[in-house]
Amino acid sequence: MDRRKILQGVVIGVFVVILLRLFYIQVVDETYKEDAANNVLRYEVQYPPRGEVYDRNGEFLVQSKEAYDLMVVPRDVKPFDTVLLGNIIGVTVPQIRKELRKASNFSRRRPSVLFKQLPKEVKLRLEERTFPGFYTVYRTVRSYPRKIAGNLLGYVGEVTDRILERDTADYYRSGDYIGMSGIELAYEEVLRGQKGVKVNMVDVLGISKGSYRDGMYDTLATPGTAITCSIDARLQAFGEELMVGKVGSIVAIEPSTGEILVMASSPTYDPDELIGRDRGNNYMKLLNNKRRPLFNRAVMAKYPPGSTFKLVNGLIGMQEGVLRPEQLYPCHMGYTVGRGVKCHAHKSPLNMVDAVQTSCNAYFCFVFRNIVDNKKYGSVKKGFDVWAEYVRSFGYGRSLHSDFAGELNGYVPSSEFYNKRYRGSWNSLTTISLSIGQGELGCTPLQMANLAATVANRGYYYTPHVVKRIHDRDSIDRRFYERHTTMVDPKYFEPVVEGMWRAVNQDGGSGRIAQVEGLDICGKTGTAQNPHGADHSTFLCFAPRENPKIAVSVYVENGRFGATIAAPIASLIVEKYLTDTITRPALVDYVKNMQIYYPAYGK
Amino acid sequence: MVSNRNSEWVSGVDWVTILIYVVLVLLGWLNIYAAVYDESHAGIFDLTQRYGMQMVWIGVSFMLAVVILLMDGKYWHMLAYPLYWITILILIGVLFVGKEVNGARSWIVIGPVALQPTELVKFTTALALARCMSTYSFSIHKWSCLLQVGLILLLPVGIIMLQNDTGSALVYGAFLFVLYREGFNRWVYVAGIMLVLLFIFSFLLTPETLLVVLVLVCVLGEGIANGHWRLKLIYLAGVALGTILLYFGGNLLLDSHLSIDVSLMISLGVSLPFVAAYSYRNRLRNVWMYVGLFAGSLLFTLTVDYVFDNVLQVHQQKRILDLLGLESDLKGWGYNVNQSKIAIGSGGFFGKGFLNGTQTKYNFVPEQSTDFIFCTVGEEWGFVGSALVVLLFGLLILRLMKMGERQQEPFGRIYCYSVAAIFFFHVLINVGMTIGLMPVIGIPLPFFSYGGSSLLAFTILLFVAVRLDATKRETIINH
Repeated sequence: MDRRKILQGVVIGVFVVILLRLFYIQVVDETYKEDAANNVLRYEVQYPPRGEVYDRNGEFLVQSKEAYDLMVVPRDVKPFDTVLLGNIIGVTVPQIRKELRKASNFSRRRPSVLFKQLPKEVKLRLEERTFPGFYTVYRTVRSYPRKIAGNLLGYVGEVTDRILERDTADYYRSGDYIGMSGIELAYEEVLRGQKGVKVNMVDVLGISKGSYRDGMYDTLATPGTAITCSIDARLQAFGEELMVGKVGSIVAIEPSTGEILVMASSPTYDPDELIGRDRGNNYMKLLNNKRRPLFNRAVMAKYPPGSTFKLVNGLIGMQEGVLRPEQLYPCHMGYTVGRGVKCHAHKSPLNMVDAVQTSCNAYFCFVFRNIVDNKKYGSVKKGFDVWAEYVRSFGYGRSLHSDFAGELNGYVPSSEFYNKRYRGSWNSLTTISLSIGQGELGCTPLQMANLAATVANRGYYYTPHVVKRIHDRDSIDRRFYERHTTMVDPKYFEPVVEGMWRAVNQDGGSGRIAQVEGLDICGKTGTAQNPHGADHSTFLCFAPRENPKIAVSVYVENGRFGATIAAPIASLIVEKYLTDTITRPALVDYVKNMQIYYPAYGK
Repeated sequence: MVSNRNSEWVSGVDWVTILIYVVLVLLGWLNIYAAVYDESHAGIFDLTQRYGMQMVWIGVSFMLAVVILLMDGKYWHMLAYPLYWITILILIGVLFVGKEVNGARSWIVIGPVALQPTELVKFTTALALARCMSTYSFSIHKWSCLLQVGLILLLPVGIIMLQNDTGSALVYGAFLFVLYREGFNRWVYVAGIMLVLLFIFSFLLTPETLLVVLVLVCVLGEGIANGHWRLKLIYLAGVALGTILLYFGGNLLLDSHLSIDVSLMISLGVSLPFVAAYSYRNRLRNVWMYVGLFAGSLLFTLTVDYVFDNVLQVHQQKRILDLLGLESDLKGWGYNVNQSKIAIGSGGFFGKGFLNGTQTKYNFVPEQSTDFIFCTVGEEWGFVGSALVVLLFGLLILRLMKMGERQQEPFGRIYCYSVAAIFFFHVLINVGMTIGLMPVIGIPLPFFSYGGSSLLAFTILLFVAVRLDATKRETIINH
């Protein structure tokens, strides 16, 4: 072949290869464009302040205060006065050295967080001196002016790797804060606001070369939205005071709306402990406390409802037509069929209203068996499932779907459960404990308070919720406006209410201690047997009798009789809420002085 | 003759080449401006900045170009040897009094100006080579003539190697291009290409694979030459069977484990008598040529490792490994090429626009106004711009080759081809390295890389070619 042609071919071939390669890396392969952006663009996150939380009267429950993270770019650090820096921040020199070494190991030219959440005063003092290579970044930390409702409000923490993995929206970055529990978690997306970003260009040495495209891609941080929650801060604080030294919870609901007025889980903690630099230590301390202060008992503990559940059985009996309120049953210290159920001294025979008033066990054993053994259902199993269906319509056995994450379902057994346990051979007597709220039943204090609200409303409830208003929205979640009616007709509630009224306001009532003149408190005591020691003391009530404003459930673990401790607490809460005064200082002292011994918690 | 010379050379000059030259030089200046641009020194004649200096060099080059065009082309033939020896002497002088930059002692500093004589030696070597090869008695097939050519080329190469400027020395490989045009034995080139391939494959392939490939290639070659395909198949099957038996049976027979390549080598050795019998019976002596080829290749691959480890410097080893994708160290040896590819790749189709290149402006690309100037082209002008530059160079080189072909004197032809070859080599290596096709070899991109010496040298190279070409056409016009 002609050598000229061959050489021409070689030259043309080489240039074609170069052109193809250029086309490939410039037009086809996109990775170089990303690499270039990674090279030159630095995304500086603009953190928004987190939304505040107010109580129902506009008082601050949670505020965001400015705090500053001290950042360092190790390469730019010049020799400086470590002692001075340590004094300003309040750390020791070796700590500074250690953190600096960590930062250097991470990167010499990329910024690292040296110390987190420094108060504003520290930042100002830092700015008086110059420490080359150090700078501060604006963040916000939570502060809790009332120091109450730790479990209810929840706390904020740095996102964990697990959260990052599950973050499908890809919003969070390592180092971001996120609500970990309570309202902070439930309303995270409202409270957090929207991070902004400033896109800067840097040169090969990491030195800023100014804004990228004159800030075309920059976004401002949108501050978090404030929330007004339905909690009454003063009432909450009072409730927490009363619960000191006891394990249990108080839940108070406004029956006409389902708004939660008080949710006190005891023991509680000062939410301010879970912010700032001591957070880690305090958190571990709380975590190791055997009484589990971080555990929100109001929605996460499952208790036997005890005698308060008799209300439900009475209502079901009437609706089912197997009980008329004036029906008389005898009781001589107990129900004697089968293994029997013990009772206490009261008049006999007695009708339904009397039975509620005195909290008679035997009476409700009769009622329960009438419901379950009802001939029209053909079998005990079918009868039982009808009963269970009624119970569920009161909000038992499933999460109420309030705005708390981690709310328990509680437990209402089904016939299948007993079929399994007793291999099919069981009857109403086998499950007789259910008549007085014992046995396999389990419910949360929130569900109990919800029962109080349901009775107060004579047959319906709104899903209990803690949020009253989200500040940039017209309404809260739709589900909180839905009225849930029970399967019991409203007309059957009146005799039960009458019994509850008498239980508090008439001689022979089981909850006389709760009486407050003129408030017409209607209540029901409960004394729940449990395997962990002394009986749990529980009480639920609402007031006033007509047009009720507040429904309360108090549950004190190992507090013995309902009237011992739960009833006085509930009564004080009602009085404080309705009249804003305390007329019985002696009762307050009595409650406060009662310290309960808890062998089950080892302390 | 003197009176109408102006109009004559104006009509004889190849204006296309000059146009390409001017466009390339101006584009080059724009990209140097972009590469070192910063707001505080925006004036284009600011002599403290590289683009200011480059502007001066461009002015000097243009004047020089005009001077060359005005001179009579005949002088170059006359001056070829003297110029060659003068520059060689300067080169030797630099060895002793030169200034060392980036490890290469190749600069002479005269007042404010630093020059790299290496750049000029390419020109004088091209002249000397053209002069030598254009003598009437010269024949490329004669050893004595080849020896002369070798001396002319290897003398500067040796001195430049002593200056530790390997990149510039490698440029002289470009003259192989010219020698091929002048009829140098083509088998030298075939062997060279094969050696390069073997070199690459000895890195990319495992020893077993390489061995198998070599066997197959040699058998295939022999088959194409002699036929007897059935025997080839039987032979291959036999060798394969022997290898497998040795490999799996080695444990039983020898109480030791043989690797695949050793098994294969043994069975190949065993097969030699059969090859000999085949060759004897069919009277095919060229069979031994393929056996020799196989053995030579084998020997070569065995020495590659030794040469690689003991002759090449560490940075050269790393550049080769990086290019072959065998070792990746984006923060170390691979940094330059990776950043260069990022800069060019991020340009996209239309580029980021003049002065908007972030990778080059913020110094992610090293040596961005000299060896890696093409990054600025790629980033700011995109595929459109870089393709245009590459095409212009391609056109220029093809044009130079065409100019060579239309010379009547071998001197002009050889010289034009030399210039084409030098440009070709520079563009191929420089652009190739910025886009990861070639190992990193620090040689400038003609007319683009910052530096007066290289701009002057390339201008002289090109315009002497244009002048020689014009001389020829001048004579045609005159007659």
